[in-house]
Amino acid sequence: MSSGCDHAIEYIYQYLDDEISVTHSSRIKLHLRRCSACMNAYEFETKLKGVIRERGRTEPPPELFDTLRALIQEERRQDG
Amino acid sequence: MADQADFERDAMQYAPQLYSAALRMTRNPADAQDVVQETFLKAYRAFHSYTEGTNLKAWLYRILTNTYINTYRKAQRRPSEVELGELQDLYLYKRLGEASGATQSAEADMLDDFVDTDIIDALESLPEVFRMPVLYADVEGFSYKEIAEILDVPIGTVMSRLHRGRKALQKKLWELAEQHGTTGQAHE
Repeated sequence: MSSGCDHAIEYIYQYLDDEISVTHSSRIKLHLRRCSACMNAYEFETKLKGVIRERGRTEPPPELFDTLRALIQEERRQDG
Repeated sequence: MADQADFERDAMQYAPQLYSAALRMTRNPADAQDVVQETFLKAYRAFHSYTEGTNLKAWLYRILTNTYINTYRKAQRRPSEVELGELQDLYLYKRLGEASGATQSAEADMLDDFVDTDIIDALESLPEVFRMPVLYADVEGFSYKEIAEILDVPIGTVMSRLHRGRKALQKKLWELAEQHGTTGQAHE
C-alpha cells in the first residue's frame, strides 16, 4: 500500500460518483493506471453500483397508472 | 410557474420509480401504493409552486420523502443516529477476495451470484437514515446535491451517511453470500 493507494481508496466513492474535484480526480486516474490492485477494487465497486441499480428496483403493479390518473381526475373535478 | 393541466404529462413518467423507492422505504406494497398516491395528490395540488424547467424528478422525490416521514414516522420525527460500527473500507471486495483466493478479478465475477432479492433484502436491511441516501444515489442515480435537497440535510451529511450506508450494505451482502454458501467453492 502506497500513499497513492490510501488516497485512491479514501476517495473511491466520490470518484465513482463523479463528485470529486479535478485535482483529486486526476491523481486517482493516474494512480489507477499504475496500480492494478486499486484498479481491480475500483472495477469491483463500479460493477457493484451497477448491480444495485439493476437489481434494486421493483416494478409497480400494472394498475398504478390508472389509480393515479383517476385520483387526479377526481381532484380536478372537485376543484371545478 | 407550472400549469396543473400539464401535471399528468410531466409527472406520470416517474410513477414506477417513485413506487419502487416507496416500496424500499415502507417494505410493504400496500403502504408503498398509499405513499405514491398521496405523493401524487400533494404534488398535483402544489404543482403551481413548481418552477417549470427545474428538477421535477427531485421535486417529486422530496414530496415522496416527506410523505413517507410524516405518515410512517410520526412518533419519531428525528431519526436517531444509528451506530453501524466501524467497517473496513472495500468491505465486500476484501471478504470475497479472501474467500476466492488470489484469482484476478474473481471478486467482480462473484457479484453475478447476487439475485434481485439479495439486493432488495440488503437495501431494506439498512437503517432508514442510511437507506435513503444509498437508495437515492445508487438506485435512483441522484447527485449528492440533489439528495441533500430531497432530504433537506447538508451535503456533508449526505456524503457521510452514504459512505457508512454503503459499507453496511456490503456487510449485509456478505452475510447473504455466506448464507447461500456461494463464497469459496463456486469460482475456483
